[in-house]
Amino acid sequence: MTQGKLCNKRPVNTEEELHSLLADKGGKSYYEEMQDLDVDASEIASILEKTLKSRMRTWLEICTHCGLCADSCFFFLANNRDPEQVPSFKIQSTLGKLYRRKGGVDNEFMRMAMDTAWSKCTCCNRCGLYCPFGIDMGVMFSYLRGICFSQGFVPWELKIGSGMHRIYRAQMDITTEDWVDTCRWMVEEHEDEWPGLTIPIDKPDVDIMYTVNAREPKHYPEDLAEAAILFHIAGENWTVPSIGWEETSLAMFAGDWEGARLQVESVYEAMRRLNPGRMVVTECGHAYRATVIEGPYWAGLASGKTPVETFHYVEWVVEALRNGKLKIDPSRKIKEPVTYQDSCNYVRNGGLGDIAREIMGYIAEDFREMSPCREHNFCCGGGGGLNGIGRYRRERNIGLKVKRDQILATGAKLVITPCHNCWDAVRDLEEVYRIGIRWSFLKPILLSMVEIPHHLLPKE
Amino acid sequence: MFGKVLFATTATPACDNAAHVAFNIAEKYHSELLIFHVLGLPSRGFSPFVRDARTGEEEYYDQDYIQWVEEELKNTYAEQLARYPNARIMTMAGTPHTEILRLARKEDVDFIVMGAHSRQERTGALGYRQAGSNMQRVARSARCPVLIVNRPCTTCLWYFSNIIFGTDFSRASYSAFLFASKLAREIGSRLYIFHALDLSAMHAGKIFSQEEIEDQIKAAKEKIHRIYLSQMQDYDNVEMEIWEGVPYMEILKYCREKNGDLIVMAHHTREIDPEEALLGSTVEQVVLRASCPVASVNRPDKIQEQRKTR
Amino acid sequence: MYDILIGPMAWVSFGVLMMGLVIRILRYIRGLDWKLDRVAYTKNISFGVKGALRSVVLWLFPFGTRSWRDHPVFTVLVFLFHIGLLTVPVFLTAHNILLKEKWGFSLWTLSENAADGIVLLVITTGLLLVLRRVALPEVRKITDANDLTVMLLAITPFVTGYLAHHQASTYGFWLYAHIISGEILLMAIPFTKLSHFALFFMSRVQLGMDFGIKRGGMKGKGMAW
Ligand code: SF4
Ligand code: SF4
Ligand code: SF4
Repeated sequence: MTQGKLCNKRPVNTEEELHSLLADKGGKSYYEEMQDLDVDASEIASILEKTLKSRMRTWLEICTHCGLCADSCFFFLANNRDPEQVPSFKIQSTLGKLYRRKGGVDNEFMRMAMDTAWSKCTCCNRCGLYCPFGIDMGVMFSYLRGICFSQGFVPWELKIGSGMHRIYRAQMDITTEDWVDTCRWMVEEHEDEWPGLTIPIDKPDVDIMYTVNAREPKHYPEDLAEAAILFHIAGENWTVPSIGWEETSLAMFAGDWEGARLQVESVYEAMRRLNPGRMVVTECGHAYRATVIEGPYWAGLASGKTPVETFHYVEWVVEALRNGKLKIDPSRKIKEPVTYQDSCNYVRNGGLGDIAREIMGYIAEDFREMSPCREHNFCCGGGGGLNGIGRYRRERNIGLKVKRDQILATGAKLVITPCHNCWDAVRDLEEVYRIGIRWSFLKPILLSMVEIPHHLLPKE
Repeated sequence: MFGKVLFATTATPACDNAAHVAFNIAEKYHSELLIFHVLGLPSRGFSPFVRDARTGEEEYYDQDYIQWVEEELKNTYAEQLARYPNARIMTMAGTPHTEILRLARKEDVDFIVMGAHSRQERTGALGYRQAGSNMQRVARSARCPVLIVNRPCTTCLWYFSNIIFGTDFSRASYSAFLFASKLAREIGSRLYIFHALDLSAMHAGKIFSQEEIEDQIKAAKEKIHRIYLSQMQDYDNVEMEIWEGVPYMEILKYCREKNGDLIVMAHHTREIDPEEALLGSTVEQVVLRASCPVASVNRPDKIQEQRKTR
Repeated sequence: MYDILIGPMAWVSFGVLMMGLVIRILRYIRGLDWKLDRVAYTKNISFGVKGALRSVVLWLFPFGTRSWRDHPVFTVLVFLFHIGLLTVPVFLTAHNILLKEKWGFSLWTLSENAADGIVLLVITTGLLLVLRRVALPEVRKITDANDLTVMLLAITPFVTGYLAHHQASTYGFWLYAHIISGEILLMAIPFTKLSHFALFFMSRVQLGMDFGIKRGGMKGKGMAW
């Protein structure tokens, strides 16, 4: 079996492997090695046999090729209705063939399958809402990613990302010390202005255990400070775990189910250790999807639920607004037209669409819906890991057109994006298409308009 | 006060003047000098791209790239490094102000020197107190004094002989005062304590009678005596003045008149509205227009004698 | 010959149809796996039932879902086609006479004209659906011989039946063709895409449970299909 030094079917488990992958500029030799990677047909056949069960089998068999799913996919629309972008075509020509041929495919086929699974689908699950049979191509592409991963056909960045999770239990190389220290730093930086501000670490039995996206401690530590200040203002009894604080899952994007399991178990372990009333996760879509919606199944929890109840950040916000823990100064509500990017991961796939509307009612005077919106909203264009894959930058940028036009049609110049991936995609779409918009998470917006209880102000 | 100096550079000519001052200070005080360059914004979420801070190009953040940038830094400051080799070159990918602050904290530096840094390209991302330039953000949050050098500094190469301290009587201003007075004592320079009665923003729409203004000036004078002059003890190389107008204009005018070669002030405003902050705070206005360096001091941590141990 | 066709062969084809469907349904259910599908079917059954009902019922009505509303022409064609496909064979007078003769009972029956009209409707909508496959590039791309065969299987009994009824001169030939094609159709259902006759419900129930239990059903008002 030909296996590359960098590109192979072994997941990354050591720092050494990780560093040699990282040292390969842009994955150049990685992708070269991929050309010669062997495909183990019998192994694929056995995976299919064991895991491709009635649900997906039926989907693949009964698709009547009616094409209703075509215009549900933003890639189809963004690519001038290219028939090759019809979800049914994309899945039938990859997973469908793989299934019919019982894994008997060659290297070229696998590379094609990889390109399709990662650059032509963000696993946004929108098509599943438009197919009369409920055939959900997002689910199947995610599954196909798993097969590609098992054979080593995975985009370079995601191989790295999954390795990060396996080694650091975070999508980036952040150690426990780095994380704890960042929390302390943020307190130091803001405690003058917010006397009494704390980020309690590993405090047991609190009401809220808060978990984040590794990008926050790494590149946007203010986000962490903002969360702390808002909890402080709301008077919450909360904590962050020193281990098991990372919600995201590049392993999920990579199709590395074992890595994904390891990651979520670190969070569940923290829940069991600290016994909080509930968990609140930061403003991230796929992180919520991974840890709250899919995670329990990876970890084999028969209830299908996380060990303690979990709230997405928007749920916490709406609760705090409802019961007055956070009070908005009406004069500081957003006056300009503003729109909201529904994240597929917690709106379509998480049922939180109403909550987003309620929040906007509290904070904005001129809220404009995108069309379509809520469960039917289009993916921002960067989901499923696509934002981070260099190889598919072109495809990603084309895909952004749909979101661009949706935003333009609202007339709003400000987009609320309570999802890291969406936030990135909107940023990139502004960079690529220059439509003159601004975007923001909820936290800074809330901080700019929340009334601060008198006793929390610093005494000059 | 200058035991460990962090020089944050964009590695472009915009920071040449700051480099000059940083190396001079390090040489004079035998400081440990950290030359720090933030490679660029981490682009595209989790991916290993950075947008090079100097060229604006997208680069792969890998060992080659880091080495190349560090080599370039060495070349840029070759002359100074030859004279003062006790310097470490460091790089990091990230948002400049975040990484500068992170390093300053980690290394427990006593003093930060930086250029005004070209105003960061305005992106549309909103964030809490995220408005303004990197300089502004560093100045606002650093625990140690931050010296911002925008213009060639001709008079101040080895010492600052006329130090202008601008105050608004805030708590942060007191830290700035501690720094200014300590420096003045150490160097033996003349300290000018200055306050500008802000007639523009605070009392918009209201017209003051001459009498009211005089009352306020009197009150400010008393404050200066009470809060600052009383602390100067035997040191009498001090002057004070109170003018009225737009604070940044007045302090600039005053500085010119007194041949100031260092302005010390606090930068602590609770700027919540990003739009407003984008117009620039007093500190930023002063930095951009002053012919001398500006030190922004908000916290007493690094000024008091004993080094805080963490 | 005729007797064999409407006797044992009818039994066989109905048997194959019924058994086939039952087996497919059972196999479908048996192949569900809460861990692989990542849906805790049994643990949260009440949410599952709610989700499943929404998912099936809304889709059974034309314009009941956004997808139906977004594609009005297709929706009308598909519903007319399927309604015809299901009503005529069951409520046709001739079939009910047979039923009475063989098994001793009959159902409510359609008038001749109505039946004729519906048969023509099935044939036309079927042809229009084929035309659509050819005309729309995105549908042409995914269409294969199988899809056309299935359509052929489905409308042949209608064409032949219609001809048998209206072409007195070649009645015998068309009648045989009609019975044979009809029985082939019945037997083909479990083994081809026509199995969506039953699997439509299974698949919709499954996805409904998926959304009802896992993907938001416990937090929102239920998927707005
Ligand atoms: S809508 Fe469903 S049945 Fe129709 S082509 Fe798409 S996946 Fe197949
Ligand atoms: S899941 Fe989303 S991106 Fe993928 S095929 Fe379906 S609609 Fe397109
Ligand atoms: S990035 Fe946002 S919009 Fe895109 S798939 Fe993820 S959640 Fe959906």
